[in-house]
This record gives sequence, C-alpha cells and structure tokens, in this order.
Amino acid sequence: MLDRQKSDGSISDRDLMVQVAAGDRRAFEQLARRHAAAILRLTRAVTGQAATAEDALQQTLLSVYQSASAFRAESSVRTWMLTIARNAAYRIRAKSDRQSLVEERLMELGLGAGWGSGDPETIALAAERKDTLLRALSTLSVQDQEALILRDIEGLQASEAAALLGIGERALKSRLHRARLRLAAALRRESEMSASAQEGPQL
Amino acid sequence: MNEKTVAGLQCSEVLALLSEYLDHELDSAMVERVEGHLLGCPNCERFGRSFGSMVVSLRRDSIASESVDSELVMRLLTQIDRLTTEA
Repeated sequence: MLDRQKSDGSISDRDLMVQVAAGDRRAFEQLARRHAAAILRLTRAVTGQAATAEDALQQTLLSVYQSASAFRAESSVRTWMLTIARNAAYRIRAKSDRQSLVEERLMELGLGAGWGSGDPETIALAAERKDTLLRALSTLSVQDQEALILRDIEGLQASEAAALLGIGERALKSRLHRARLRLAAALRRESEMSASAQEGPQL
Repeated sequence: MNEKTVAGLQCSEVLALLSEYLDHELDSAMVERVEGHLLGCPNCERFGRSFGSMVVSLRRDSIASESVDSELVMRLLTQIDRLTTEA
C-alpha cells in the first residue's frame, strides 16, 4: 500500500523517515503522532491491557527512531511500524499467558452470528453504534482482533496483513471471515445485554 | 437453519464465501452463483446484508481516524529522548 499522501500538502511518511534517519527530532515527532493511534489499537489487542500496550508503543517508537536508517522501503512506513509494534507487543505478551486456539466449525460460528435466525438485522443495528462495536471487538481473541484491525480498520491489503502476521493469504482470509462472524456474535450478545439492562429488574 | 440449494450453492457454502464476496475476491462466475443464491434465499440475503453492513461500520473513518492523547505521545517521546541520550 502506498504511504498516505496528505491532501493538505504535508510531508509523506517516506520523506519523514529520511529526515528521522538524519536525526530530525521534529520529523520523528510528526511520524509518531501520525501513527500512534493505529499502533496503540494493535498493541492493545495483543497485550489486552492499556498499560502494556503503551509499553509496546514506546518500544516501537524507540525502535523506529534507532533503526530509521535501516528502513528499506520494501513496505509502507505504516506497515513497517505496525510490524515492529506487533513484535514488541508479543514479546510483552509472551511473559504472561499463551492462548489456545480452538477452531470452531464455520456453521456453528454462523449460527452464533445470527445466520438463519429471525433477527439477523441485530448485528447491523448494533454495529452502527461505535461504542458497542468497539466493546464487542474488545471481547474477541487477539488473533481475531488483529485480523479485523489490520484489514478492516487500518485498511491493509490482504497480502500486507498476511505478511505482517506471518501467515499465507489464504489463512488470513479464513481468519478474517471467522473473526467477522465472531464479531457478529459478540454484537448480538452486546445487543441482548443492552436490551435486558433497559428492561430493568423484574419486580 | 434449513439448508437450501439455490443457484447450485447450499446456504452453508454461501456462508463460507460471504467475506470473500464482500471483499471482491471471488471470480465473476462465483459472484454470479452467490448473487443467484442470495436472490432466491431470503434467509441468506437478510443475513448477508446485515453482515455486510457490520463490515462497513467497522471500516468507517471515525474508528481509524481516532487520535491518541497528545500528552501520552509527548511523555513517550520525552522518555525516548532520555533513553537515546543515555545510550
């Protein structure tokens, strides 16, 4: 994917990287501000905690600053930074638990998502509320969140996201589809909880 | 879920292909079959429409354009300055 060209004429990521490699602190600050939110979204998904996600963000920025001259433009600057961020977040996460992956059958995932139910519209309505959508996203596994963040929120191409995650494109597409179905199921749960909270206690 | 076969595809096959259909990753012959199934299967059509809307919501600009607290970035940059100066 091409680096984001700013319509307001501001400098591109690659030009900023050249300046950072030359020791330009202001260019580094600009680059950090531009990508910090995307990095934090990904590191929070991996570590599961705001504090450790910030640690991973700091390690990422430090790596970028120290290895700017090693950037070879084989990928976009954003993809390069997200790759560093993911590695940093996993190093932090490795100190805690390891998550087991249990593959569910696709039809079971579909049924959980409301496929064949009487009210499949529930997921679209719940997803329209940004806070509900983000809350549902946060309940998913790290692998599911990574796929959704990289492909649907950050808009990386399938080939870029697959390379970043160290898997093939076919596996990435399968992971993304399963993640979307689990997100739909999580949205249904959020919607049900919200409905029962509004009903209040039964007297 | 009552499985139906419409346009040569079962409902479960359409369920498996939905993301690739939404992401424009299917070849034209398969797109035609999926769309033929959706036209003839109200259950899959309703679910597919809602599922597609969810993906559009996830891609909306307001999520990707969220910014990080300016103070956090400044604090981290200050720490990095200290670390690189000490090194």
